[in-house]
Amino acid sequence: MKSFWVLPVFLFLMPTPGFSQEADTLIDLEGVEVREVEKRPEPFQVDILKKREIYETAVRDAGDILRKVPNVSGIRKGGIGLDPVVRGFKYSQLNVQLNNGHKIEGGCPNRMDPAMSHIDVDDIAAMEVIKGPFALRYGPNFGGVINVLTVRPAPADKLSFHVKAMQGFESNWNGSKQHLALYGGNGDIFFRLMGNYKKYGDYEDGNGNTVSSHFTRYNYSAAFGAVPWKGHELILSFEDSHGRNVMYPSLPMDERTDDTRLMSLDYTIDDLSGTFRELNLKCYHSAVSHAMDNKERPFSDTVVAVSEIDAINMGYRLEGRFSLGRGHLWVGTDLEDIRKDGARVKTRILEPTMPVMKENLWANAHIRDYGFFTEFRRTFNALELVAAARVDLNAARSDDLRLEKMGNLVFFDGETGSDFTNFSASLGGTCHLTGDIDLSLSFGRGMRSADMVERFIILLPIGYDNYDYLGNPQLKPEINYEADLGAQINRENSGVLNLNGFFSYVEDYITGRYLPPSVVKPQTKGVLGVKEFYNEDRVFLWGWEVSYRSPAMYRWGVRFHAARTCGVNPGAKKYVFDEGNLVGVTSLENDPLSEIPPLEANLTFRYTFLDNAVIPKVSVRAVGRQDRASEAFNEPETPGFITASAGLSWRFNRYFTATGGVNNIFDKAYYEHLNRRIVGGGGNLYEPGRIFYVNLIFSV
Amino acid sequence: MKTHHIIVFLSLSLTLLVAGCEKETDKKVVYRISDNASGYSVNYRGPEGALHASAVSVASGEDVWTYAFMAGEGDIVFVSAIYKDITGEIKVEILIDGKVYKQGYSKYDTVKYVTVSGVVPYE
Repeated sequence: MKSFWVLPVFLFLMPTPGFSQEADTLIDLEGVEVREVEKRPEPFQVDILKKREIYETAVRDAGDILRKVPNVSGIRKGGIGLDPVVRGFKYSQLNVQLNNGHKIEGGCPNRMDPAMSHIDVDDIAAMEVIKGPFALRYGPNFGGVINVLTVRPAPADKLSFHVKAMQGFESNWNGSKQHLALYGGNGDIFFRLMGNYKKYGDYEDGNGNTVSSHFTRYNYSAAFGAVPWKGHELILSFEDSHGRNVMYPSLPMDERTDDTRLMSLDYTIDDLSGTFRELNLKCYHSAVSHAMDNKERPFSDTVVAVSEIDAINMGYRLEGRFSLGRGHLWVGTDLEDIRKDGARVKTRILEPTMPVMKENLWANAHIRDYGFFTEFRRTFNALELVAAARVDLNAARSDDLRLEKMGNLVFFDGETGSDFTNFSASLGGTCHLTGDIDLSLSFGRGMRSADMVERFIILLPIGYDNYDYLGNPQLKPEINYEADLGAQINRENSGVLNLNGFFSYVEDYITGRYLPPSVVKPQTKGVLGVKEFYNEDRVFLWGWEVSYRSPAMYRWGVRFHAARTCGVNPGAKKYVFDEGNLVGVTSLENDPLSEIPPLEANLTFRYTFLDNAVIPKVSVRAVGRQDRASEAFNEPETPGFITASAGLSWRFNRYFTATGGVNNIFDKAYYEHLNRRIVGGGGNLYEPGRIFYVNLIFSV
Repeated sequence: MKTHHIIVFLSLSLTLLVAGCEKETDKKVVYRISDNASGYSVNYRGPEGALHASAVSVASGEDVWTYAFMAGEGDIVFVSAIYKDITGEIKVEILIDGKVYKQGYSKYDTVKYVTVSGVVPYE
């Protein structure tokens, strides 16, 4: 019996002389990734994070690793579930999707489970961040698209079966994670089965304080593909994912259970004719069942609050590509249909008869968006042009927005329906000035209708500031007019330098304004009052990104990137309170927008040994002080910080790779500007202190 | 052949990984009322979540009323009692797995309920 174990282990560990593939090869073995992450030249900024960067670091959350992308940050409210911010755009201003069109609607009104949190980071093959309102084939795009590509089954030349397993461990919060994938098939039928399990405890910050951040997550998925005829491909996929006891110290509740089911069907036909080149169909269904409570919070000694929400997002995307001379034309249509329902039950456990109250969080809320889009690309000698347009027919409905307490009507709004036609367009071009210098310029108009929260939320403290927020079903769509200017210098011997700048003029910006108690009274203890979502006339955002990557031909490698975003609201108002009473309103000229990350720079140096088998690297991250804080939102300034990390990737043989290292080497106590403060006066939510990590990856 | 062994082994691991992910930890909850010699009214939350009410008669101060059930982590536990004898007293306790989780006591107070409540703690 012993020999059964010894031999495979020996085979795993046995060095393979002469193995001389490039470092990326292990990743690229899973063929479909290569096809999907291939980067097209675009006149706007597209950043791609590949799987290697996930395995090379200590990461347990998809939103967390996105912070590696220039000008992308994350709003942290707990150990996981970071909500991405791209160039200052966030929440529904970003179009987050899975595998080119699969949308997920989180259940929590406070976004403890944004779409990214329902995707296991170890299932990801790549993440594509398309900045700006330019890519319009992926659904309504206001500020950017985050397209998460998971590892999917792919046809093989001959029948084969493979196994991939990963065991990861992180010190500090004693986290462990396992990933297992079985995949294989032939050229006609192929499959992929995957599972993940993650269990993390509370982490310690750099001051040695314990942060309530423990969580357990697990998922399993199955995807089957077939090639029924030459040029046709069908993929059916199914995933169940679950979260248990996920702590969010910066929110009033923790996630008790989350059960998510994702299903999709993809059908692709290639080479239909000389003109009709490709047809893609995707149908999907996402169901999130989310339960959260305050049972591990001090206030539960008085009132136990439990919220249960069901959110369904389903839709399709149908797209055809046509070859027209030297140009390509895409034409398509898509649908996103979101339904949300749920309530909060409050049990007053200190009262002798234990009264129980039920409040609707969502009342059969429903948003449907039909989109029609087109994109045309053509090359004119040294100029590549891309033009795109889309129209969205957006309709929203809900049962009456009604809140009653002790038989008294607190709030009522019966006009909950709205219909909008939204038009978006973009035009961009890349000019190849010389063989190694490109200049690009893009203009875009992205239009999006308000989301579920902005339309239908009923008096919950879901904003950055300390107010109960009230939805507004009659909100107008907000529009982003953006211009991007970029330059790339790509020289074989000296590397690739990218410079990008952008300017956004946002019309009918959706934000909150104060409503006096005579209109509606706040319902949450300790808040300053009620804010209702409304359309601010205009705000501006601007910023830049610079990145450098050394040539791949050398054994050493350097990567550098820096980015900055600024935003202002020319007509902001600050509400001044004294002992809970509004005593004045001040108009602020050009008040900075809230939740905008500060200047940040990253430098990574790596060196390759033993024919790329051993790659050590050292990274330094410097983040500036954020003193452009929003006065209107009572946003505090944030000090700057510098952190360092080191890692080593060791490909022992063709079956076995190990990565490990240490994050936050000097155990620096720091927090990001976008980290929400801990509720109940708990102060700032600090990032984890020093973490040692190791990931062991087997691939057969 | 070895590869097949590995695949079988890892397939079983995947099955176990999926099957072993959820663990329920039930705990024994006991409501206990004592130190009362004249009788009292009690409200308590049962395992099904409903509120029950009953009048308890006692023969002496040594009598102890108890109600026990199994509960999961996070379940609400609640017991509340009041007496009418102005010379009376009462002690109300909730025990979880044999240890006192919460307790309350009153003496000569016929107006205010002694309410003891909380949620079964998470490990």
